[in-house]
Amino acid sequence: MNSVTTPEHSTTSLVKASALAAVLAAIVLVICILPSEYNIDPTGAGKALGLTQLAGVQPMPEQSAAADKRTDTVKIEIPAGKGLEYKLLMEKYAHLEYEWHTGGEVLYFDFHGEPKGDTTGYFESFAITTSHQMKGSLTAPFTGSHGWYWKNTGDAPVVVTLSIKGNYTIKG
Amino acid sequence: MSQFMARGLKALLVLTALCASFSLFAHGVDEDTKQFLTQNQGISIIPFIYIGAKHMVTGYDHLLFLFGVIFFLFRSKDILLYVSLFTLGHSITLLYGVLGNIAVNPYLIDAIIGLSVVYKGFDNIGGFKALLGFQPNPRAAVMIFGLFHGFGLATKIQEFNLPEQGLVANMLAFNLGVELGQFMALALVLIGMSFWRRHSSYFRFSLASNTLLMSCGLMLTGFQLTGFFVS
Repeated sequence: MNSVTTPEHSTTSLVKASALAAVLAAIVLVICILPSEYNIDPTGAGKALGLTQLAGVQPMPEQSAAADKRTDTVKIEIPAGKGLEYKLLMEKYAHLEYEWHTGGEVLYFDFHGEPKGDTTGYFESFAITTSHQMKGSLTAPFTGSHGWYWKNTGDAPVVVTLSIKGNYTIKG
Repeated sequence: MSQFMARGLKALLVLTALCASFSLFAHGVDEDTKQFLTQNQGISIIPFIYIGAKHMVTGYDHLLFLFGVIFFLFRSKDILLYVSLFTLGHSITLLYGVLGNIAVNPYLIDAIIGLSVVYKGFDNIGGFKALLGFQPNPRAAVMIFGLFHGFGLATKIQEFNLPEQGLVANMLAFNLGVELGQFMALALVLIGMSFWRRHSSYFRFSLASNTLLMSCGLMLTGFQLTGFFVS
């Protein structure tokens, strides 16, 4: 395949090389990588070298989530005789304040959450009723998509104006 | 002799630097990119190309593997063939993983990517021929490990729960960026290697270089497996 002959090595030197690779990897892992990345420090060398501090300063997911608190106001049109979902992706214990109104027309709605990665079709409803407005807050009981299903049983489209504030990502 | 030592050392330093960027890019995508990805709605081709390219250029695991793959490839035809096989492999699983919403544990997939580096280092020193008595097909190997690398790329993107809207176009743009980034990084590595290849130290240090490559691969594997067990 190559015009160049690659060096051949004796089995002994191959075994030595592989063993050396493994030993070197083990040493660097135990002394540097595991203490700095995970604060796992069986030898105490990570602490002595000051590497374990690195593991402590990594931002926790909760902290970074709290930093990007956001607000949005969206208008969602529910066509006549149709139902529509509007979902937000939220981490567990993330907080949301919400308020929505239609301007008078009543809609049947289900405010609920589905755990992330769930394939059984399970969901938890926080409120199911018929109304033209609702205001409240939610602390997400689990990581997943949380949001509203509105159903318009009338024969004219209804526009929902939704204002939200908290830690979430709009899925739509 | 001292000149050779200096050259050898220089090469080892480059490799070590590649290994040392561990914590900087651990699990891929930095905060600003994350911010962008989670806020993004709809199609944005250029940003996704950029993210893909950046991920590849800063992705030490993919670069280490490619370094191993091209270590003993001297003809541009061979390099092109192997890199195309790798590209084909990771494009398939990147698109399949994201579009099919296949969830693979990122720690496990990155541990396998670490093992791909070990495999290639061991292959380069002739380990399979010497210890097992046969040489596994290197083209098939690079293609198969390409498939695993693609799942790795896919899990990075999936962590962000990207909106469905514009997903296909964005994924294709990300994949294009990955190829561009791979091309740029590979060009740099090749320039460095072709200087080194003109000297006999290249062969003299091939055992040392590939031993170090295996060691880096083992570190990656250990790092990711630990992450899997503690997370």
